[in-house]
Amino acid sequence: MTSVHATTPSGFLLVLAVILPVCAVLAIVACGPRSAARIAMTTLAAGLAVAIAIAMELVAGGTALSYVVGGWQPPLGIALRADGLSGAMIVMTALVLGAVGLFARSQYALHDGGGAGRAQTTFWILLLALASALNATFVGEDLFNLYVALELLTFAAVPLVCLDGRAETVKAALRYLLFALLGSLLYLLGTGLIYGQYGTLDLLALSQLSREDPALSAALALMIVGLLAKAALFPLHLWLPPAHAGAPAPASAVLSALVIKAPVFLILRLVLDVAPPQAAAVAGQMLAVLGAVSILFCSVMALRQARLKLMIAYSTVAQIGYLFIVFPLAAGSADLPPWSTIAWTGGALQLISHALAKSAMFLAAGVVYEAFGHDRIADLRGFGRVLPISAAAFGLAGLSLMGIPPSGGFVAKCLLLTAAVAEGYPWLAATILAGGLLAGGYVFRVIDKALANPAAPIVVQRAVPRRLEIVALALAAAAVMLGFLPLRPFEFLQIGRSGVSMAGLP
Amino acid sequence: MTASGLVLVAALLFPLALAAGCLSERLRARALGVLVLAPLPALAAALLVPDGRFALFPAPFRLTLVLDRPGAILLGGAALLWSAAGAYAASSMARDPARSRFAIWWLLTLAGCLGLFIVGDVVNFYLLFTLASLAAYGLIIHEQSAAAHRAGVIYVVLALLAEAFLLIALVMLAATYPDANPQIRSVVANLSGNPMRDGIVALFILGFALKMGLVPLHVWLPLAHPAAPTPASAVLSGVVVKAGVIGLIRFLPFEAGMPVWGGVLIGFGIITAYYGVIVGVTQRRAKTILAYSTVSQMGLLAVLLGVGLDAADPAATELTAYYAVHHTLVKGALFLGIGVLGATGGRRLGLVLLLTAVLALSLGGLPLTSGALAKLATKPMLGYGWIAGAMTMAGAGSTMLMVHFLLTVRNDTRDNPAASPPRGQLVPWLTVTAASLIIPWALYPIVSGEPVAGLLQPAALWKVAWPMLLGAAAMLILLRFPRRLGAIPEGDIVELAGAGEPLVRRASDRVGDVDAHLRRWPMAGFGLIALAILLGGALMLRA
Amino acid sequence: MTAVLQPGVLFGLCGAVLVGIGLFAIVTHPALLRRIVGCNILGAGIFLVFGAVARRGAGAGLDADPVPQALVITGIVVAFSASALAVALLKRLSELSVGEGRAAEPAAPRSET
Repeated sequence: MTSVHATTPSGFLLVLAVILPVCAVLAIVACGPRSAARIAMTTLAAGLAVAIAIAMELVAGGTALSYVVGGWQPPLGIALRADGLSGAMIVMTALVLGAVGLFARSQYALHDGGGAGRAQTTFWILLLALASALNATFVGEDLFNLYVALELLTFAAVPLVCLDGRAETVKAALRYLLFALLGSLLYLLGTGLIYGQYGTLDLLALSQLSREDPALSAALALMIVGLLAKAALFPLHLWLPPAHAGAPAPASAVLSALVIKAPVFLILRLVLDVAPPQAAAVAGQMLAVLGAVSILFCSVMALRQARLKLMIAYSTVAQIGYLFIVFPLAAGSADLPPWSTIAWTGGALQLISHALAKSAMFLAAGVVYEAFGHDRIADLRGFGRVLPISAAAFGLAGLSLMGIPPSGGFVAKCLLLTAAVAEGYPWLAATILAGGLLAGGYVFRVIDKALANPAAPIVVQRAVPRRLEIVALALAAAAVMLGFLPLRPFEFLQIGRSGVSMAGLP
Repeated sequence: MTASGLVLVAALLFPLALAAGCLSERLRARALGVLVLAPLPALAAALLVPDGRFALFPAPFRLTLVLDRPGAILLGGAALLWSAAGAYAASSMARDPARSRFAIWWLLTLAGCLGLFIVGDVVNFYLLFTLASLAAYGLIIHEQSAAAHRAGVIYVVLALLAEAFLLIALVMLAATYPDANPQIRSVVANLSGNPMRDGIVALFILGFALKMGLVPLHVWLPLAHPAAPTPASAVLSGVVVKAGVIGLIRFLPFEAGMPVWGGVLIGFGIITAYYGVIVGVTQRRAKTILAYSTVSQMGLLAVLLGVGLDAADPAATELTAYYAVHHTLVKGALFLGIGVLGATGGRRLGLVLLLTAVLALSLGGLPLTSGALAKLATKPMLGYGWIAGAMTMAGAGSTMLMVHFLLTVRNDTRDNPAASPPRGQLVPWLTVTAASLIIPWALYPIVSGEPVAGLLQPAALWKVAWPMLLGAAAMLILLRFPRRLGAIPEGDIVELAGAGEPLVRRASDRVGDVDAHLRRWPMAGFGLIALAILLGGALMLRA
Repeated sequence: MTAVLQPGVLFGLCGAVLVGIGLFAIVTHPALLRRIVGCNILGAGIFLVFGAVARRGAGAGLDADPVPQALVITGIVVAFSASALAVALLKRLSELSVGEGRAAEPAAPRSET
């Protein structure tokens, strides 16, 4: 087999992105819980620097970064590779993790005065493990390596759900773990079938080798559906609402914003890079149907929720749906590859702006919970008076979810709508609009409460420091700022894509 | 950038800058005081900037501002009303505990509304439309009563619906366009070549009709206007509804014409004009009567636009703007007048009532007032067919409604203790009243191209006077049926929507049941396997 | 008949049977412990499939393709960790249930569905 990968000069950055958090975990174990927060925050900052360095290298070089581990070429060796989309994911991950880290640090300082509780140390270790696993997913090129990264991600995410150790959260975590395990085992089975057929698991090599055959069809079906279980797309969303609503606010934020994006990212790569064109079209149609149902059904469910965090969790399932309706819209054509379509940019932008907006929302909800000791929407009348910054953060994040200008969500939905109209998918256009209306409904329900006059003077259980609220506001503002991107295909997301052969194209 | 460009930019950015300034505690405390200043750059732009001037912003803002004659006419009237209503609010709400919040919503709505009249590109039009729509919610719910929240919810639902219609229409309009943010003028000029043009126009009419309040999409007006504080009602009824008018002016192809859709607009307009009158005369509250009068007047504006679209007559947009500015000033003055009347008693009451009567009857076309001018200016365009007849009779209807309004306010103020209104409220009201009486005279020769002298001919006076007399006579007959009062609840058909509520609730519960079912472990497990088999089967069949 | 008895095919078929049993156990059994065991059976089946793949891929004069074997070893480690985590959570859940005096069967708390 000819070598498809060659280490680029700055390829070591990819290794750094994966390894750095792991080293930090070891350092925490070595140095003890006292310095956990400090080490974690330093590492998250360094991770952000690495992420920005990767993005700058991508922009400067205009091609993907690669690293072949140990100089062993696939199929025996493992390659890491970051193109524009991966770069964007890595930067987004580093940003959200950094913000969540700041939030968590202030929140823990609030509770045990900066002391090092066991839950706190666990949180920092898990957060770092999450960072490593996410980066590994975004730069991985080997399907089995990706399986390991996904499992690491699950193992880091599951304990985050039950960090407070209450029976209901442990139950939610177990349910999450088992369903995710089922999903990843299906994925593993698919990996085995692909190896049996092609003798390699390297995505780049597969994109050149793959052809229509039953083994590949079965493998793709198993892998995609397995990943769907981890992404919690309707009707496989059973585990998400209790898990995301039960977790502590910073954990919910990373779970909703980042963790479920990793399987979505892999599905995108499977469908666009590995699947032959006909199969990609079929899978895309089916995923779009599921995505559309997810948007409508789970938005209604979000409207029905009485608790703020459950509402946000259902909204996550709904918003994930938008990422799946991208598939048929970004199908591309002979002279317009998928990554040059506006739907590709729209999808990526939806992914990123949802990550920012949803983490802001969960953090704001965390502040509300911290201040009031509950998150029943009906009893939150006038919370905007007490927590104006959090209410503003929630509102701004809501604007992005609803797709109201100027916000990243608006640009994303506008691009997807344009693609739906131009490609002739009126039912998808209608779904996008209806989803926006329903999102308006559930966001507005909370905003209306925030602006209302409190029935009785508001009793705040605990004064919440400004810092916590500012973090949420900053994330929400970032989601809004994305709205200043131009309404056309974004070049950064296309970097390194043309290196992949036109597997998804006729 | 030229001086006129700078003024245009200031018209949009000055209110936004004031709103941003409210982030500081100090400025927020006196935010109410600056409301009167906020629209002044826009007023200056309307008065000083010559037609056709524009200002461009490069990426990433991609903003184009352009002033044409309909835009300038609407902008001037709206800015004047915003300024006067702001001054009124500074006096009437000075002791409101939530006044700074009110001021922020006010500034945002103002920036959106005024910006709409001058924005020239598609994306920023949508942005400002959204800003104006959503920020107005803060004005509607300001009083925090249950009625205000109900009105607010209904308003937001309809506003979001309008947004959705507009968004898809704009996307369909610009989808085939190479530039991501084209100029409104150029996309509309190319509309006739668009294969989806009928859908686009239908969605535009639907979206903007929601904002204007054309029947049956008018339900938010009679709920929101009475619920809001008086100065807010004045701008809601005077300016915010005009966002729909400017939208239709901008996005309908008046150059090319579309007879079918012109006919649709005419039809909806006439229905709305009469419907507003019929429901209005059954109302008890003065503000609600005015809100229904606004519904009726918006119907008349829709007819004017429809006629223009039918005849491919771009001049119709100017005449519509002229009619609209008359309505802006008169309706604004009437709403402020309700507040002034409430604070007046004794000797002065008669004088205030007299001025109110002049204003109110102006809507019906009282000779020599702006209403008569607006009707005379639009007469030639309407011709002598059934549409002209229907419009004349609608004028009679407006008179009926306004007589009803006058009787209602006289009744309401009968027992007022002797007092004179605060100067801070009286002066703005008088300013708008004076403006409504004077400005249309100044604009008449520009818009209609005829000298003012023609307006003083007895024939012209009679043309507008007889429908008024007819309307007044009809109202006198109607007064014999007092049981009509309260026969139709405020918001009329929204009550019918209430009947659908159990259905919606049941459907929603059904969704909840399905979700609970799907989220059971065995169900989800089988779902997972079934999906895998389904997808695998589909892939293999295709392979 | 001889084709069936070839080790690769036999491994593959056994793997498929185990996958079926595992899936059935995971989906239908309400007891959480049995679901965890089901996951392990499913995992074992998948590793057998890998073994079959390794056997089939041994065309180049080798006894077996080494890559799938390396994958299986890694996979077993991952699956072991998963089981450990699941069992730890289950143990925690049963302790909590006992603590609250609610669980009728502490050893294997049933999921609510």
